[in-house]
Amino acid sequence: MIKKLNLLVVAVLILSAQQVISQEWLVPADKQNVKNPSEFNLENVKKGKEIYIRECKSCHGDAGKHNGLALVPPPPDVTSKIMQDNTDGELFYKMSTGKGVMPKFDVILSESDRWFLVNYIKNYNPEITPLLVEAPPVKANLTASIDGSTRVVTVSAGFQNKKGEKENLTETPVNICVERAFGDLPVGQVLTDDKGTASFKLPENVIGDEEGFVKVVVSLGEDFEAKKVTLEKAKIGIPKETPQLIRKGVIWSTNENIPLWMLLSYLGAIGGAWLTILYVVIQIVKIKKLSAK
Amino acid sequence: MNKIESPEESRKLLDKIVFDLTRSIVKKDELTRFWFFILIMFIGVGLWGWGIQIKNGLGVTGMRDYVSWGMYIANFVFFVAVSLVGFLISSTLHLLNVSWSKPISRVAEQVAIAAVALAGIIIVNDMGRPDRLLNVFIHGRFASPILWDVSVVMTYLTISVLLFYLPLIPDLAILRNRMGDELPKWKMKMYSILSLGWKGDAKQYKIIYHAMRVLMILIIPVGLSIHTVTSWLFAATLRAGWDSTIMGPYFVAGAFVAGVAAVVILMYAYRLRYGLKDYFEDIHFSQMGKLLVFVGLLYLYFNVNEFLVPGYKMRAAEGVHLLNIFTGSYAAMFWSVQILGLILPIILLLFKFFRKPLSVTLISIVVLIGAWFKRFIIVIPTLEHPFLPVQNVPADFHHYAPTSIEIMITLFSFMAALLIITILAKLFPVITIWEYAEEKGIDKKYFSEQPKKS
Repeated sequence: MIKKLNLLVVAVLILSAQQVISQEWLVPADKQNVKNPSEFNLENVKKGKEIYIRECKSCHGDAGKHNGLALVPPPPDVTSKIMQDNTDGELFYKMSTGKGVMPKFDVILSESDRWFLVNYIKNYNPEITPLLVEAPPVKANLTASIDGSTRVVTVSAGFQNKKGEKENLTETPVNICVERAFGDLPVGQVLTDDKGTASFKLPENVIGDEEGFVKVVVSLGEDFEAKKVTLEKAKIGIPKETPQLIRKGVIWSTNENIPLWMLLSYLGAIGGAWLTILYVVIQIVKIKKLSAK
Repeated sequence: MNKIESPEESRKLLDKIVFDLTRSIVKKDELTRFWFFILIMFIGVGLWGWGIQIKNGLGVTGMRDYVSWGMYIANFVFFVAVSLVGFLISSTLHLLNVSWSKPISRVAEQVAIAAVALAGIIIVNDMGRPDRLLNVFIHGRFASPILWDVSVVMTYLTISVLLFYLPLIPDLAILRNRMGDELPKWKMKMYSILSLGWKGDAKQYKIIYHAMRVLMILIIPVGLSIHTVTSWLFAATLRAGWDSTIMGPYFVAGAFVAGVAAVVILMYAYRLRYGLKDYFEDIHFSQMGKLLVFVGLLYLYFNVNEFLVPGYKMRAAEGVHLLNIFTGSYAAMFWSVQILGLILPIILLLFKFFRKPLSVTLISIVVLIGAWFKRFIIVIPTLEHPFLPVQNVPADFHHYAPTSIEIMITLFSFMAALLIITILAKLFPVITIWEYAEEKGIDKKYFSEQPKKS
């Protein structure tokens, strides 16, 4: 019975997925031409961008980069024709109600937030002169060092201006992270001063490796093209607890951790059996000797 | 036991017994050659298949990531099971002074030696890198049931060989004394060496009895452990279908069923082939039939526990596994094994009518085939349900089917076991002559006599 139900669920899922692919996403006629109450201006587009990065980017990816998640159907890029063919009203309706893997956002975002998002998407419409033009990332260079005793990371950032002169990078956020097995863990952000330097005191409770060593990674935001700096590991963290994977009292174990009683039982049983076998073999030798007499 | 007083009568009877029981050694005809030819052909083909497997790796088998223990391991469990009969018949029944089982002891030991030797070889067949076999001993983990199993299989093989050899010593002396021209010289020389110059005085007999008794007692714990440890290979995991506390006795009971069936078949073959109607008598088959009923009921009892109790609860993973066995893709195999291979034989053998030699043998053949498929059901279906859901699994991971190479190698194991049994039967009498003669009332002093050449 459960097996049949499972099959049914799978069948329904497959069918609905096919429908999502094959059918167009229809928007009721009265919703199609609703006008956007918020004005299409730079401020509102920026607000939209902020919301987009927070709520939408994880699936739809960066605008123009076509790096959305590989879902079925794939979440379209903001600049794509599928997205831009929608009217304002259709965009608003679709993000509000959701469909298939696209969540419904009317319970998550306020109405005005959703209209800001519409403004942001509209910014990439090929028929409209964009208000928000993102500057290409600036080439910058970053140096950093760490003082193991005070746990302070000192950062210095600069860039080359158009004349080719070196300039300090001021008032720029620098990300301080800690290297982990599957990526960098952000621990804080710090703004550079007018000399292009900044310092950040790492919290005490950063967990390091078995001996407390931590690798700090310093990087600039997306607006800059700069190599992230991975500092030499410093002993500034709490030593990582390495749980004893093989608990005491567990019977299965490596030879180093084998319970004594088990080793003795094994050796005792096998040894006892082979000693007895040896005894029998000695008896056979005795028979042979008796024959020789 | 009636003592025969007259020396003439004793000598006459002894001559007849020796003549009858050495027929298997002396007999040499086309059929024997044909039988050897068949066995060696199959063994050759199996070894060729094994060569392919070593060259190309275990990928030539049907085993994949999910089912990593396939027909080889099922076959291994079957052979270990069959070997356990040596301990049941030649030790337990002997120590209990069950007299009818005495002529069967050597047959049981032959089965035990062949089966346990092949069990070890099958494990090597199952290895992807048999050249690393020694690592099991060099780097073995004392807490691993696999190491225990290896140790106990080797111990059992040694004890079985000794238990085969010890009661053979006086027989070898009889052969050495009485046989001559009818046997090739190397055979006579072998008897002479292996009989250790046996004289047959009271001291020597005392040692033989004593050593046999020690071995018979030793083989009980070792025999029990060999199959219990084999069951722990499964029961020590958390997999549905294997995670069971009664796996040990369940395996041991099942082993008795398979072993008794194998001995019955072999007894019938000897009776027919070597004209031993007066030695493997109807009563032996009848008693073995009764023994099969007894161990069958024992096994049935464990089966009820093994399947009814988890089936009553149907816990998540266990339920999926059990449904697959009861009503799923293994249902046909499972129910035919349980009904044809266990329940029906028990019922039929309750009737005297079915406890005649031929019918007991036919029933035993069905039981033995059932026992083999039962091991298949114990090993494979459990593995077809992986613990962790994995995406994009190739289709051939889901269902296991043995490839022709695996079947070739499995057939090899059967033929090699039969070859060992045949060679043992061709070299040594299939019934212990001196024990049998003594049972018939012939005094020991006649055994060492040289017969008068007529």
